[in-house]
Amino acid sequence: MPKLTLKFEDRVIKEVAVGTQAVIIGRSPDTDIQIDNLAVSTNHAKVFVEEGRLVVEDMNSLNGTFVNNQRVQRTILKTGDSILIGKHHLVVDDSWDAGGAPVPEVKKVIAPKVQETMVLDSKKRMEMLQQAAAQAGVKIPGQPAAPAAASSGAPAATGPAAATVPAAPPARARVASLIVMGGSTDQREYLLSGKLTIIGKSEMATVKITGFNWFKPKMAAQINKRDDGYYVARADKTPTVNGLPIQAATKLNDGDMIEVAGLKLSFQFKD
Amino acid sequence: MKVDIGSRTDMGRVRGNNEDNFKVVPELNLFILSDGMGGEAHGEVASQLAVDGISTHCREAAKDPKTPIFGPQREDLTETTNRLVSAIHVANEMILKTAERDPAHRGMGATVVATRVKDGRICVAHVGDSRLYLLRLGEMQQVTNDHSLVAEQVRRGIISNEMAGDSKMQSVLLRALGVEAEVEVDADEQLLMDGDTLLLCSDGLTRMVSDEEIAAILASSDTSQKAADRLVQLACDNGGADNVTVVAARFKTSSDGWLARAWRWLNEPLDS
Repeated sequence: MPKLTLKFEDRVIKEVAVGTQAVIIGRSPDTDIQIDNLAVSTNHAKVFVEEGRLVVEDMNSLNGTFVNNQRVQRTILKTGDSILIGKHHLVVDDSWDAGGAPVPEVKKVIAPKVQETMVLDSKKRMEMLQQAAAQAGVKIPGQPAAPAAASSGAPAATGPAAATVPAAPPARARVASLIVMGGSTDQREYLLSGKLTIIGKSEMATVKITGFNWFKPKMAAQINKRDDGYYVARADKTPTVNGLPIQAATKLNDGDMIEVAGLKLSFQFKD
Repeated sequence: MKVDIGSRTDMGRVRGNNEDNFKVVPELNLFILSDGMGGEAHGEVASQLAVDGISTHCREAAKDPKTPIFGPQREDLTETTNRLVSAIHVANEMILKTAERDPAHRGMGATVVATRVKDGRICVAHVGDSRLYLLRLGEMQQVTNDHSLVAEQVRRGIISNEMAGDSKMQSVLLRALGVEAEVEVDADEQLLMDGDTLLLCSDGLTRMVSDEEIAAILASSDTSQKAADRLVQLACDNGGADNVTVVAARFKTSSDGWLARAWRWLNEPLDS
């Protein structure tokens, strides 16, 4: 008679034999193996014997049933397979024989809650990301595979060690400056070193409009420095970039001409 | 400038205690929200230390600009934002020290998002997956990037946004307060515009309520308090799997006298 061993992390919580009746796994107290975790659906999956073979079937669960890290709808199980439901594993032993003993009564199991937040320390971070990349590569047919799986040739399941995580975007983009080509401002050139650059006549503005500025806006436009570059966005006025009014925050390229509130500003990267 | 502030925190429908904390310091336009973690280690102690430590440090610095700065200072940030970052370093230290002294608190930690509006700028600093949203002219943008495993996977293109929503790894954070002596704090600045609404929230809101629903509620509520009440109610109605906390603040920078209206009209004859 086949046997399922419910485990959380490395701890064995319960062993359940699969008899003639299907074993239902879910969050509901009416299930045969209750896992009290929000990631688990009320009736999540069932395991049963069909034509002498052990089968697992997902019962339209929200978060899915995984066998050996593959999401499955229905699949045949063999000894050593590991069914993942939420954060609990069910290890399959198809060869187990109770020696003709009566089917042990399936007891209700209440697994501990595992919805607590956990934090990875800096060492574990890279490990987890690499593992996730490797898994994503095999788990998601049709999706663009993680570069790790695509480049390694062998299935990524052979080991996370083969995986490489795509490099994170550079922490700091190149520094740029605005050169005043037209209009009256308090400087001729502004180094865009800050996260936020405000253009206007306000005291708080970085690029300050001077001269006859009665009708100039306090805050005409803004430039935001992000990890991947600089973006210009409107404030009280809609700036144009190379003559075209911007629709939304617009990424700036070397040599772009920004016009707003009577100013002409040339955007240039510093090398 | 007028600010309409609303806030609410709720245990939710599943948890047995509330580990979230928040604090509003109106005279500084300072808003802080923290989501504690560590169950038996008393996450609520960590989140309380975070909001208290940050508000105290910012208040002291407002009174005395010579208050020392903790942690690295960044040249691309204003003094206000650098002060928020410094305050988060102080909070991290306080949580670690408290856990060190009392074994019952070992393992506690917290996320934090702190934002202050000053000199026409929205200054924000954060660690973890508590978020700051900005609603402007009906459109909502997430200002902070979650320091969670799934958010990082999305940023690196390993998984899609939809997959992130279904991920089993949603509760895995890459950064939090109270974990290590050195914590990397993210900071950003945005221009404040008339009519902007800021929303600070814990993940108990964002896991239960979609961004579209959040934006619709913020845009359609008369007051920030009503918006806060409705958001928390909806998170609970949708399951309330976690503690849920929101702080909403709507900013009105222009007065509405006839002179101001005429002035704006003169300033913008061609717009709108």
